[in-house]
Amino acid sequence: MIRYVALRLALLIPTLLGVLAITFALLSLAPGDPVTAILGERADSAAITRVRTELHLDDPLYLRFGHYVADVATGHLGRSYITHRPIARELIQRFPATLKLATAAMSIAIVLGLLIGILGAIEPGSFADRIGTLAAYLGISFPVYWVGLLLILLFAVVLRVLPPSGYGGAIFLILPAATLGMRSIAMLARMTRASMQESLQSDLVRTARSKGVTERAVVLRHALRNALLPIITVIGLDFGAYLTGSILTETIFSWPGVGRYVLTAIDKRDLPAIQGSILFLSLVFVIANLVTDLCYAAADPRVAYD
Amino acid sequence: MRRSAILLILLLLACRSGIPAGLKYYWNSDPRSLDPALSTDVPTGEAVTLLFDNLTEFDTEGRLVPGLATGWSASTNGMTWTFRLRRGVTFHNGAAVDVAAIYGSLRRALRMGKQGGRVWPLLPIDGAAAVVDSGAPDLRGFRTINDSTIAFTLTRPLNIFPKLLAMPVAAIVPTPVPDDFGEAPIGSGPWQFVSWSHDDLLVFARNEHYWRGPALADTLRVRIIPEVFTQGAEYESGRLSVVEIPGGETERWQGTHRAELQQRTAIRAWYVAINTRRGPLADVRIRQALNHAVNIPAILERVMHNRGTLAAGSIPPGLDGYDATRPRYAYDPDLARKLLREAGHADDLHFELWRSPRAEFARIAQAIQADLEKVGITIDIVERDAATARAAARSGKADLFLADWYADYPDGENFTYPLFHSSNAGTGGNYAFLKEAVLDSLLVRTRTTTDSNEKVQLLRRIDARVFDLAPWIFCWFPTDMWAMRPDVRGWSYPLVFTGQRWTGVSTVP
Repeated sequence: MIRYVALRLALLIPTLLGVLAITFALLSLAPGDPVTAILGERADSAAITRVRTELHLDDPLYLRFGHYVADVATGHLGRSYITHRPIARELIQRFPATLKLATAAMSIAIVLGLLIGILGAIEPGSFADRIGTLAAYLGISFPVYWVGLLLILLFAVVLRVLPPSGYGGAIFLILPAATLGMRSIAMLARMTRASMQESLQSDLVRTARSKGVTERAVVLRHALRNALLPIITVIGLDFGAYLTGSILTETIFSWPGVGRYVLTAIDKRDLPAIQGSILFLSLVFVIANLVTDLCYAAADPRVAYD
Repeated sequence: MRRSAILLILLLLACRSGIPAGLKYYWNSDPRSLDPALSTDVPTGEAVTLLFDNLTEFDTEGRLVPGLATGWSASTNGMTWTFRLRRGVTFHNGAAVDVAAIYGSLRRALRMGKQGGRVWPLLPIDGAAAVVDSGAPDLRGFRTINDSTIAFTLTRPLNIFPKLLAMPVAAIVPTPVPDDFGEAPIGSGPWQFVSWSHDDLLVFARNEHYWRGPALADTLRVRIIPEVFTQGAEYESGRLSVVEIPGGETERWQGTHRAELQQRTAIRAWYVAINTRRGPLADVRIRQALNHAVNIPAILERVMHNRGTLAAGSIPPGLDGYDATRPRYAYDPDLARKLLREAGHADDLHFELWRSPRAEFARIAQAIQADLEKVGITIDIVERDAATARAAARSGKADLFLADWYADYPDGENFTYPLFHSSNAGTGGNYAFLKEAVLDSLLVRTRTTTDSNEKVQLLRRIDARVFDLAPWIFCWFPTDMWAMRPDVRGWSYPLVFTGQRWTGVSTVP
């Protein structure tokens, strides 16, 4: 297991190098000039030339890439063209907010998604199952943006029981987490239902029932555990995606996470900030995937990494 | 089940969070810095206005008023400006705002010009360009007459110079500035910096020693709220003191919050720049035909909900040079076709209209495309991100460019010289690449004259000449609309973004 983890961590280096190269190439090909964003719209051509030279924007591409890789290798993501603040510090400042939102969204999704899925699997075709299935369809179909706005309208403007947006205590988490987690609730509910139905008809469950194990224990201890692998996959993938910034949710709810940082960087053509963010978020995503893979082994003894 | 539902509702009601006390404002985006020397964006400019003082300042009506200077005067040739300084002003840390701080602030802003900032307002000072370009140690054009009088020598006469000193980049900072100044600034303005949580919240406390007297409220909290819908929801739930009303929401707010609304014509112009150097567009008849072919009043009504004043020139209402009596180009497709025939282009014209992705711009561009199609002009709409679209306009690649121009300072000069003088073609703001000797001469004269009456007459002549030359499809000057909570007193939307310091604003229980 330790060897496997070490190998996966070592593979991070070529992966991140590839991410760096692709990002760098794409940003170089993309239209738009960061200098306009740096100097403001009223900058004259002399000032633009001056700043381009200072930032080495006119240097050959390979030279710029070489410098950047050397900086990253020594732990420097550079400074933002726009704010002049260190990018690593900006990302580290914002990541806890994203982590908080992702964790809350995933927690809601796991509780509700599994509940709906299990209820549907135990009594397929029942009223609860039909409502759950309908809710799952709606959850997958509704765009996050629209759901977020509706929730704000209902809970903040009409009922006035929750703040519309902002960052703070748990109360500020409810709406954005529910919005962000909605798609996962739906996915998990459908996945759990299908996986559990299959599991409930397995020989393992039949044996457990014949041994006189209570129905609750059959469902939770035997059937659910047996159905966990696809559920873990959904959780891992979605959690990884949430950790890498949920731009729409963070924007609607004024949530100060990495998603908004990336969006602003792209909008301002802040090249070092975009590159640094993508590198950081790639790292987060790869680690989230690794943790998911390790969870497989914990959930299912048949999975072993040697 | 029922008990659970009741419990959930009770829980929600119980955790209904308190609304913070004090004044509550917002910006669409995080300021890039709180350092005046790095100011290029509106949030930074507004933050600088709260935290710092300038020699001169604008009030909410856009009038130039004394700041750290109690008065100023120009030499007869307009080359030298003398400022009398206010005594006894201190920074938030207790240090004196003196001649050394003023000199140090301006020189520092110039030296940081290379890192990007709105340094251009200071470049008219003699020797300023040398400080920016080659790091010259001294600002030659700055002279200390005594400890309460300073003088600036300019490279050429410039009557708007006192207005340029009211720009954020000319704010006065301590010398030397403390470390991490952009994150934790110290100024002498009406509000002191308390905290800044990036992309979330800035908190300011009133400066009890502010030379104009302390602000009425003790706290000003500024949220960062990028989404327009959320801004409205924050206001309606009582978490913002004021909010801007987007065009598409006009009728709803007029129906539900009429008593809370205030509006004014902004000193901004929306227009389509016509590149006068590209092919047939060099012919003034074609440009006038474009103006006659587009039904601007209908677009203003449909897209902007009539939130604007139709334009017959580039100078907005409220500024010297605006002429309310000048008739605009009438919507007249027949006249447009006639002008096109006279120019020898009855039905063979094909142009690219560049625009940025703003929602209103999309609808306006489509409406223009449809109107021009009716007179036989084919338009391809090219949508690019704002920086790319602007770069195309600057380089002369765009035939037509849908844009807006907002005032840096309230003066008719700001709506003429940058936009139409040949030296500003492309990068300076003259996206029409207009070049006309007579106009150039008038534009220079309007900056240099020391006679305010002559300046008004010059601006009117320039505006009329620009109108005749039709370098733009003249659209409108937008009307800004804001709502103010019933419990808020003393706030008004400023004509320029640096005009509201929140000192006279308060809340009533």
